[in-house]
Amino acid sequence: MSARSLAAEFFAHMEAGDADEILGMMTPEATVSLVPLNWHGPMAADGASYLRELSRSFPDLLVRVRRLFVTGDNTAVAEITIDGTQADAFLAVANQEKHFDLDQAWMLKVTPDDRISAVIAYWDQNQLYRRLGVKRLDKITITAG
Amino acid sequence: MTTEALRVGTGTAPCEDSAEAVVRAFFDAYRAHDVERMVDLCAEGAGFRYVPFEVWGRQRVLYGEGKVCTVGKVIWTTLIDAFPDLANAVTSLRADGDGNVAAEVGIGGTQAKDFGIIACTGGHYQVPHLFLFHVTGGGLIDDIVAYWDNVGWKKQLGCLEVD
Repeated sequence: MSARSLAAEFFAHMEAGDADEILGMMTPEATVSLVPLNWHGPMAADGASYLRELSRSFPDLLVRVRRLFVTGDNTAVAEITIDGTQADAFLAVANQEKHFDLDQAWMLKVTPDDRISAVIAYWDQNQLYRRLGVKRLDKITITAG
Repeated sequence: MTTEALRVGTGTAPCEDSAEAVVRAFFDAYRAHDVERMVDLCAEGAGFRYVPFEVWGRQRVLYGEGKVCTVGKVIWTTLIDAFPDLANAVTSLRADGDGNVAAEVGIGGTQAKDFGIIACTGGHYQVPHLFLFHVTGGGLIDDIVAYWDNVGWKKQLGCLEVD
């Protein structure tokens, strides 16, 4: 399977909320860096926690891959847009049932035997807060209607 | 899940090494605060999108999206003016054979003037960025997209307002 196909599968599982399926695509020691959250650690812990919270909070999540290319070191680089309607607290933001969309960039490093060994993601958490009604960065749990 | 627009840019693609060299030259120029050189490294009409750049006014939202020669040049010039010691360090660089380049870059500086809603308190910031370029076969950048986290940036500079 190519890194491109693997990335497409990764994001399809993200949309479906299949964190376990995603973990099954990883090497045992796979790492994750969710840069805006300053979460850097094992995919099996930090990555799975993020994915499970995402799918629980946005059960109607859609993931659209806008751009995808594979670099010489077999890293799939993807620009995606995620959107959905909030149904539960997410990253400490109280649920106001707001619809959000957010552009993100993900890099998936793929091994020669078609496993993902590292995941790095970038997005702007300020955009996420704005769309979910947060007004101040020191009071994330307080939202405006 | 839907998939569309899987690559950007036009024209013949350069080899990976030359595309990487163009991107390194771009960040060298940025580090030297040579905005004209940054623009010269881009094709005429090169696309520009700073994804987190949103200015929410009462009537409309301004996005950091357009052309390098207009929107990009203004943002770079304004940023360097507000952060006179603005610096960057490329921490990773990856390219494919079609002119696409992904660059992870640490950017930081000390604030000397107000920048957007971030009032100047003389604070310093350091924020990781991901830049995605497309480089033409002629060795010019024809598309720039960048991602970073504004929460980390604003918190370091003492700004706690979302908008």
